[in-house]
Amino acid sequence: MRLGFNFTLGDTYDMVQRLIAERHIDYCEFLIDNFFCVEPDELAKAFDCPIGLHIMYSKFLEADRPTLVDFAARLRDYIDALNPIYVSDHILHFTHEERAFFHLGEVDYSREYEFVRDKVLEWQELVGQRIHFENYLSIMDGGVEAPAFFERLMKETGAGVLFDASNAVCSNRNCGTPFEAWRNVIASARHFHVAGYRNSLIEPFISLDTHAEALAPDTLAFLEDFRSVFDKPGATMTYERDDQIEFDDVVADLKLLRNLFGESEEKRHDLAISA
Amino acid sequence: MTLLSLPSRTDRDLYPALMSPQLCAKYPADHKAFVRIDVSLRVYWHTLFDICPELLELSGPDGMSIFRPFMAWAGEKKLAFDWSYYLWVYVWLRESPFKDRLLADGKYLRSIMGASAARWAVLDRGRNCGLVIGCADSTDFVVGWKCRSVRFGREIELIAPEEPLPAPPDIFGYFTLPTFELDIFPGWQSLAR
Ligand SMILES: [Fe+2]
Repeated sequence: MRLGFNFTLGDTYDMVQRLIAERHIDYCEFLIDNFFCVEPDELAKAFDCPIGLHIMYSKFLEADRPTLVDFAARLRDYIDALNPIYVSDHILHFTHEERAFFHLGEVDYSREYEFVRDKVLEWQELVGQRIHFENYLSIMDGGVEAPAFFERLMKETGAGVLFDASNAVCSNRNCGTPFEAWRNVIASARHFHVAGYRNSLIEPFISLDTHAEALAPDTLAFLEDFRSVFDKPGATMTYERDDQIEFDDVVADLKLLRNLFGESEEKRHDLAISA
Repeated sequence: MTLLSLPSRTDRDLYPALMSPQLCAKYPADHKAFVRIDVSLRVYWHTLFDICPELLELSGPDGMSIFRPFMAWAGEKKLAFDWSYYLWVYVWLRESPFKDRLLADGKYLRSIMGASAARWAVLDRGRNCGLVIGCADSTDFVVGWKCRSVRFGREIELIAPEEPLPAPPDIFGYFTLPTFELDIFPGWQSLAR
């Protein structure tokens, strides 16, 4: 398992450099559409490691075609310059009746399947490559339909799933989606996310992907129980931290992941050559 | 947990309530749907008061005397809640009992214009590099620049021009900059809702 860190804005530039230099991470994931005004060449030279590209605001379920064509054209420049390990995006609603959510809306997995499938096909065609779509953190009970939705979506569109393990933990806590229901999705996924979460301020508590705290014991237990399903050649796991970003805390969690999965195959190979 | 007569199987069943304190109040407080809606409404609250904490001096520490009536007004007007979110709060405040205190100190307007410029710089995905916001209540204007280098984030500038630009026809006006130079004045555009 290769480990990575999410790079969303310049503030953490020096920290990411240090994580790479000290080999706590093997690659870096750019929140790429935050950097659409930075030259692709500058991004390509920013870090001396492989790169994943994560898209936040394509809004491909809602945006009109000319907007998506333009977004895809700019994204393409970065794909060509950075040759990323993967490109990923979100299946989410950003608006309702053209009014923006500030906490994004989950799709209705049973009623919106065909709509999403057609949009995914169109979006992959515009970008010109396979895209890995991230599972969202479910709160309401309809979230139990997510695993079957993603399985079917992969089969019918050729898309991948960027499987966020801690989102699945939150969904399990919030609406009881069994971990076992994700087994096929995890088995076919090669790219993963993991992060801390916390509870809502009021009861009945729901768990939220705050990306601001250490990995929870139940997240680590889930990774441990499914370790052989997660780990595979070429697999990546991005540790996401967007708040309370302290170097030592991040490294402590990365070490837990390293211990759990062992050195990545690529790194073992490196070590063998230098030995 | 109280039995709920409103549909709440999915997020989608709750979409209208996710941005409406009044609709939220229709859900029993011990139900997961209420907590889900509360989580959403808190993000609107924090997006306003974490970025413009001065406004709490007007409203009192819980912010609710601004937040609740503003969100209701925004619902009636069907505001898009795009980057101009903060500017509409100012428009509402100007019509509210807070008006005199709001206009007595320029810090509220500066904070609000900076917040909207920053929100544009972080969230807009068009090709423009910068956004200029002007206000009829001030000759100063604010520019938000998107992230232009991998080492830095977005930047916000407050500019007090020697030769003021003409005032925007409405309370606020804006224009976008296609490059990282502030070298054009194409005229003010009015805010879209
Ligand atoms: Fe994630």
